[in-house]
Amino acid sequence: MSDPAGAAVVVEGVSKRFGRVPALTDVSLAVGSREAIVISGRSGSGKSTLLALIGGLEQPDAGRVLIDGEPIWTRRHPAHVRRDVVGFVFQRHLLLDPLTAQANVEVPLLGAGLRPAERRRRARSLLEQVGLADRAEHLPSQLSGGERQRVAVARAIANEPRLLLADEPTGALDSVTSERVLDLLFDLRDRLGTTLIVVSYDLAIGPRADRTITLIDGQIVEEGA
Amino acid sequence: MMILTNLRRRPSRTAFTAAGIAVGVATIVALLSFTQGLSNTAAELTHLGGSDLGVFQANVSDPTTSLLPASLVARLQRKPYVQDATPLLLMVEAVRPQPGAVVFGAQPSGFFARRLVIVDGRRELGAGDILLGDRLAAHMHLAPGGTLTVHGRPFRVAGIYHTGIFFEDSGAVMALASARRLTGRPAEETNIVVNLSAATSAAEATKSIEREFPGTQVISTPQQALRAGANSTLISKAILVIVVIALIVGAIGVTITMALSFIERQSELGLLSTVGWSSGRIAALILGEGIAVSLLGAAFGLLLGVVGGDLLVRVLGVGSYVTPSFTAWALGRGLLVGVAIGVLGGIYPAWRVTRMKPLKALSGT
Ligand SMILES: Nc1ncnc2c1ncn2[C@@H]1O[C@H](COP(=O)(O)OP(=O)(O)O)[C@@H](O)[C@H]1O
Ligand SMILES: [Mg+2]
Repeated sequence: MSDPAGAAVVVEGVSKRFGRVPALTDVSLAVGSREAIVISGRSGSGKSTLLALIGGLEQPDAGRVLIDGEPIWTRRHPAHVRRDVVGFVFQRHLLLDPLTAQANVEVPLLGAGLRPAERRRRARSLLEQVGLADRAEHLPSQLSGGERQRVAVARAIANEPRLLLADEPTGALDSVTSERVLDLLFDLRDRLGTTLIVVSYDLAIGPRADRTITLIDGQIVEEGA
Repeated sequence: MMILTNLRRRPSRTAFTAAGIAVGVATIVALLSFTQGLSNTAAELTHLGGSDLGVFQANVSDPTTSLLPASLVARLQRKPYVQDATPLLLMVEAVRPQPGAVVFGAQPSGFFARRLVIVDGRRELGAGDILLGDRLAAHMHLAPGGTLTVHGRPFRVAGIYHTGIFFEDSGAVMALASARRLTGRPAEETNIVVNLSAATSAAEATKSIEREFPGTQVISTPQQALRAGANSTLISKAILVIVVIALIVGAIGVTITMALSFIERQSELGLLSTVGWSSGRIAALILGEGIAVSLLGAAFGLLLGVVGGDLLVRVLGVGSYVTPSFTAWALGRGLLVGVAIGVLGGIYPAWRVTRMKPLKALSGT
């Protein structure tokens, strides 16, 4: 996947409030294609909100978010951004527990309307990429925490996203397992050339990223290299 | 693929929802089959002896309490549109062990008695004779030569007949004169059954008879039969009310159960949205699951309704009054109702999904 390359993200003067709570105030940010950045900050500082806005899960009250120069919400089908451009990994793996690992990875492919045989083949190869080929027929309840999160990563990259968004992907994992999942994410960035944005309060991952951004009370206070 | 997996892997939730639907459908099927059975019964009452219509006393609470003067038969027979008319006296609860058996007092020369097909013994209707319907004979293990006690008087079983009409086959026939003696009503018939001449319609004849013979009431359709007796009207109204209540209670209960089960799964549905499923596709999944569960439930419900209804009638020993009648239409309606419940239960959560905020759904629970 060298071409098309990772998506370029531009956040322009974005604000978002939930009721009376301002979650983000006038945030601007540019992330280049294939760049890997970390967003850090205390709990409640607006990290998840920023990620949701970038991924088109939420609509900003003011300002706009552009993917490859095109604003998300003026597109004909804003929701297609989620299907075609973005892959999400959350703190909770959010696997569907009646489905096997393999079937969970197939879920986004179902949304994209692939043929069953092609779907199975793709899911199998994705599980291989995250080192879980032998766990394909296991249910989430039969997997360890780290394995579940790796299935979630495989699901996130199923539609070959050009922008990978991870919201505290290691928040629920012990440190050894965390390392493994982070290795996987940054390795995917290197191999697939996706743009990667990771939200984490764990500053230890800073050195892996090209850049770290810190949020305090919904505003960017610091951009480190 | 996901619909079936979701249902199969969550067996207890699927089972509970399906069971709820099954109970609702079973109730509906059973009640509908009884109402159907009741109007079949009424239909047979209106065509006793293969007649076209019955003439009763107007405004009686029940056809069996009707009283008409004996002279009416001769006057009816003189009408051009009447081919034949014969008096009939109906006695209920006259046979102790079979309270549902109706004993007919009929003129041995009238078309009602002549029409009986004798399958065993002889067609004899002397003062002490009685003919038994084959169902009654089988129930009571009686054969020609045996004795049947009616209103405390012994009658000799002369023969066994079959007519194909449920009420007649589970009853008995004796001479009108004997019946009059038993009931102490020498000069009156309870009702008169009439065969019309070929050119006359039942509706025309009904009008003519009710006009020319004031104080009579003609019954030629099951609806009229149900209406004729205040009792049966009450019953059919009561059943209607019960059916409607069962429908409403069943539908609401199951709809809520289904809606809740989906609301519980908000974060799952939110996830489908974040991985790019369109809301239409998610809504289709929900509706599909709803319909699959309700089909399952409806299938069990049909079985439960048929078996349970039959069993209930047997346990209560009311088989000669009401027999459940399982028409395809009653079963079909039960199935339709089941599926409708599934769709209803799915619509609200499906609608919610189309306006759901994925992030909010994900952060829930
Ligand atoms: N869906 C929501 N409804 C109401 N308030 C919210 C919602 N999401 C976030 N918030 C509020 O917005 C602020 C930022 O939240 P969030 O972006 O989740 O922070 P972080 O991810 O850094 O912990 C917090 O005060 C939070 O309570
Ligand atoms: Mg957060």
